[in-house]
Amino acid sequence: MPLLAADLRRDPSVRRYPLLAYALVPLAALVLQAWLPRVLGPYAWFDLPLVVTVYFALDRRSPIQGTVMGAAMGLFEDALSHHAIGVNGIAKTVAGFLAASIGVRIDVENHTIRLALNFLLSLLSSGIVLFVSRFLLGLDLEWRWYTAIYTAIGNSLIALVLFPLLDRLQIRD
Amino acid sequence: MESLFVRYRNLLVLLAILLAQIIGLAVQVRRTGEGRSTLDPGDGSGVRLIRLWANALVSPPERLIHSSNLGADKLWQNYLDLRHVREQNQDLQKTIDRLRLEQAALLEDARQGQRLQALLGFQEKYIYKTAAAQVIGSSGSEQSRVFYIDKGSADGVLRDDAVITAEGIVGKVRDVFPHTSQVLAVNDQTSGAGVILETTRIRGILRGNANGQLQIVDILADKRIQKGETVLTAGGDQIFPRGLPVGVVNKVVPDPERDSFIDVMVTPAAHLDRLDEVLVIISTQPRFSNQQQQDIATSEELKGSEAAAIKEQKKASDIMAERLPGLIDPKLPDDQQPLHDTSNPNPVAHPPQALHPDRFTPGADESTAPDAIPETLLGTKDAAPDSGSQAQPQKPASSPAGTQTKSNAKPAQTKPSQKTPPQQTPPGGSN
Repeated sequence: MPLLAADLRRDPSVRRYPLLAYALVPLAALVLQAWLPRVLGPYAWFDLPLVVTVYFALDRRSPIQGTVMGAAMGLFEDALSHHAIGVNGIAKTVAGFLAASIGVRIDVENHTIRLALNFLLSLLSSGIVLFVSRFLLGLDLEWRWYTAIYTAIGNSLIALVLFPLLDRLQIRD
Repeated sequence: MESLFVRYRNLLVLLAILLAQIIGLAVQVRRTGEGRSTLDPGDGSGVRLIRLWANALVSPPERLIHSSNLGADKLWQNYLDLRHVREQNQDLQKTIDRLRLEQAALLEDARQGQRLQALLGFQEKYIYKTAAAQVIGSSGSEQSRVFYIDKGSADGVLRDDAVITAEGIVGKVRDVFPHTSQVLAVNDQTSGAGVILETTRIRGILRGNANGQLQIVDILADKRIQKGETVLTAGGDQIFPRGLPVGVVNKVVPDPERDSFIDVMVTPAAHLDRLDEVLVIISTQPRFSNQQQQDIATSEELKGSEAAAIKEQKKASDIMAERLPGLIDPKLPDDQQPLHDTSNPNPVAHPPQALHPDRFTPGADESTAPDAIPETLLGTKDAAPDSGSQAQPQKPASSPAGTQTKSNAKPAQTKPSQKTPPQQTPPGGSN
């Protein structure tokens, strides 16, 4: 928390959100990610926890917060599956850190940048999952490259719609 | 050292978190005997705890969504089902409205059909030629109780033709146009019709009053007129044929202007305020059905043959009169005329003498009786006193022979007194 306070003092343009938003939005993302695939079946080409992680990391412009949020979201996602806990945690930790680091340096209000960031970070997350599973843990993981691309596209499109909605939650001075 | 940590704190935090997760992964993965890595099927206590937290966090909202039927599949299905419901509902509502209108029209047609059927039945049975007409309008005034029909001079309607329904009289044609006619209803104040009360045979004039009610005027007070008596047309007004129903007596009220007269209020038989179809009597020449015409022809034939038979009988009697001798024969002199002949032209023929006379033979005496009776008949006399029947000897009197005896002469009347002695003195009884 001292780190968070230091960041806020250093960058007054950092957006702030109600405490409830920090709790409910990630929770909603986890619930929907667990529930929507039941409805959409094999067409659930999106990763809502990653989109939410990227959003908060970009807007908070804090690599540590992005890292922590990414790690938490990834670990919960792993915990809801039967896979080893930590695979998605590592991937989203890296994605959150990078998103926050990029958000410090570029204008994250631009939709194109948001679209591109979500697409690239999604591909990166999929790559990290593949890397950790196959090469770090030596597990036999079936992986389809087009699924990773579809998921990246889905995340980008969702981000286009979701980010403006989440922007409405921020506390304005 | 502290500044180094502050400077690279983000990276250090990242590395620390990554390292912790890698260590956690390493704990979960174990190497098999073939040298392959696999996940430990049995989660450790720490891993299980994390899974439990995650499940406890995510499951309640999922259960809430599931229990409250807010599932996306249901929403999607409902959306698909309800996508065109509004349009379908509007279409169905329009269809219902249209069907209601059609139903009302059909109902009205059915009612009209029933009315026309009854009217047609009456028209076919009615003896005079009539034309069915539809009521197409009215005067629109309470003071003028006239209405218009869709038949006019082109259809044979004439002025003063009677207008009726199957229930009773309606009015008369007041004015005739080519294709329409104006009918004056019987309940108008200016109308009039000769009527007769069915039971009491009291005649009067039917008029309408200011309220549109029917009343019979110019009737002397008569206590025999009762409520419910049927009123018929009298036929003397040259408009309505005789015997058509007019209505029934509703009440009898005294004439306010004349003391000894009464007004008979009549409930019309026809629904004068709800007329749709009427009949116009366009000809008062009797119109018979085929059966009636056959009956009339048969009657005429029978009548002709009867007349012919009477004529033949008369002719035959004339011929017989010519052939039979008359009382005055022009060919004979006066003293030889049959008129002066006093002799009996029909002398009584005497019956021939009986070959075996008995006691029943006319003119036979008592002595011949016992000899004439056969022995077989004498044997029955033993039972005669017991039976006491004194009428037994009279039985032959009821026979044709007896009748003949009765008609002959007085000696036969003395027979009963002569019949009794043989019965009272049987042969056995004399001893």
